[in-house]
Amino acid sequence: MYITLDGVSRQYDSIWAVDRVTMGIGKNEFVSLLGPSGSGKTTLLRIIAGLEKPTTGRVLIDGEDVTDLPPHKRGVAMVFQEFLLFPHRTVSENLAFPLRMMKLPAAEIAERVAWVVGILSLGGLEKRYPNQLSGGQQQRVALGRGLVGRPKALLLDEPLANLDRELRQEMEVEIRRHQSALGIPFIYVTHNQEEALSMSDRIAVVRKGRIEDFAARTDIYDRPKTAFIAQFVGRSNRFEGTVDAAGRHVATRCGTILALPAPLTAGHAVQLFIKNEKLRLAPDDGTDGASHGANRLACTVKDVILRGAYADYILAFGDRELNASRPRSERAFLSGEAVIAHLNPEDIDLFDMDGERPS
Amino acid sequence: MKGRWAGRALLGVPTVFLLALFVLPLLSMVVLSFWRTENYHIVQDWNLGNYITLATGGAYVTFLIRSLVMAGVVSLVCILIAWPVSYAIILYGGRYRLLLTLAFAVPFLTGEVLRVIALQGLLGPVGLINAVLMALGSAPLRFIMYTNVASAIGLVYLYLPIVVTVIYLSLLNFDARLIDAAKIFGASPLRAFVEVTWPLNLFGTLIGFVLCFIPCLSATLVPRFLGGANGTLYGMAMAQQFGESGTWALGAAMGVVLFLTSIIAVLLVGMRVDLRRTGFTGFGRG
Repeated sequence: MYITLDGVSRQYDSIWAVDRVTMGIGKNEFVSLLGPSGSGKTTLLRIIAGLEKPTTGRVLIDGEDVTDLPPHKRGVAMVFQEFLLFPHRTVSENLAFPLRMMKLPAAEIAERVAWVVGILSLGGLEKRYPNQLSGGQQQRVALGRGLVGRPKALLLDEPLANLDRELRQEMEVEIRRHQSALGIPFIYVTHNQEEALSMSDRIAVVRKGRIEDFAARTDIYDRPKTAFIAQFVGRSNRFEGTVDAAGRHVATRCGTILALPAPLTAGHAVQLFIKNEKLRLAPDDGTDGASHGANRLACTVKDVILRGAYADYILAFGDRELNASRPRSERAFLSGEAVIAHLNPEDIDLFDMDGERPS
Repeated sequence: MKGRWAGRALLGVPTVFLLALFVLPLLSMVVLSFWRTENYHIVQDWNLGNYITLATGGAYVTFLIRSLVMAGVVSLVCILIAWPVSYAIILYGGRYRLLLTLAFAVPFLTGEVLRVIALQGLLGPVGLINAVLMALGSAPLRFIMYTNVASAIGLVYLYLPIVVTVIYLSLLNFDARLIDAAKIFGASPLRAFVEVTWPLNLFGTLIGFVLCFIPCLSATLVPRFLGGANGTLYGMAMAQQFGESGTWALGAAMGVVLFLTSIIAVLLVGMRVDLRRTGFTGFGRG
């Protein structure tokens, strides 16, 4: 592996902000560290950068143990959430900074700055100071400063958090493009699952300083390893219940019977998740014979939220709410309409009450 | 219409205030400097006599040069001390930061005369330092007994709190994460200081310099109590014109000279600095 974290921990006072993290990142990989705020993902990134020292463990970059190396000797670059451009330097001076520190000849500095100005479409802004730029432009300069020195790895700390939605989606595509063009690992810290899902090869879900799972983005989304991931990635409906005597169904607390994809021990307390878009809707007009059987929930549409290509339905089901997300190409439902929500047993993610997959 | 009148009133009050308390006294000083005093009376005939005296009287030129050197050295020393002190407060002060900064203002709770006399008690021939040295059987330190060095120590003592406060405030507004950014992009800690920390706090440092330099230039109490026979500074000589000698017009001329010297000093410092290069964003966008 190109970058290796080996049992890395970081303690603040009595709290382990990072707790025995071991992971390997390939040379041409886009990896996201996804987690809620305070989960330790930024600390992990700062440890890789050398801005924090791990309490225990080792960090290896390109085969070299850099655990005790200060940041300026690691050859990595970083893009910060607050951009942190040098306010007393123009755009081209900001871009030239890493190159000057590398003591490159002036001609090569000029050439590389021009290259970055080109790929990030910063032409015409070279003489401006950071406070004369828009947020998006500052973000590009920050990204350019990260790329210009051809670092061994680019670390990105929530770089898009301060941008508006449209700009963010544009930058997501662009960042991903630069990563594949340069062939260096990007390690991207974010609490935004959409960003992680849209750009990453692999996603590490971070929770309370530990890696909950580190897997391909499709696995993280489609086959969450823990209840936390099921809850945190994507949007889903959650049920709690107990496995019945036959071991084939779950009686949920709201009185519904759900069929299981695979048999389980009777009496087992479990939690189930089904993604909003996996909940299928059909009109409750009596044409469907077994309308109230297992995995078929009779609901009333409470509200419809139009999202463009799809619609979000808020459904009243007994005394709780369910959320469904359906493409607009399907039959549309109106507020107040009675519907049946179908749960395909294959689409249900099932966990113990402690959040693990039952063995 | 109402807003415009409110705006005028808002601008008018400070304008009147500045005119009455700043411009008028300054003008009266300039006028007086072109008159004469004779036997403790002001004679209103326009002449350049005072300025000729100041330019040709060797003592006055010496006092001015000595004051300029003294103020420059003291301001530099203050900045050299204030930087590490402020930096340490920012880095390690934690929740006691404000308290530590305020602690520097504690001497201000007493009067300036008292503070200078206290220092005299410390530095003088029978002062604490020399008394201890002599009691231990060694020779007293002559260079701190009524010398320019003693004056300089006194001035540093008086104005250091101001310089610390100004540099502390500058560092407080400085985003230290920029140092992280510099390090990530290959700067050693020293290089990061030179490239980022120093230029971005240069403006604050210069304000600290000027706020120390100008009062030092016109210092009167310190040289009188600590400076000794060869320690007369311009401000002290000026004060004497208004006191013992009763040559007010000459004193006023000295005041004008000090005023102009201060302005030239500020301009010289100011012209060498490109504010953009200090991260100064007071110009707004554009």
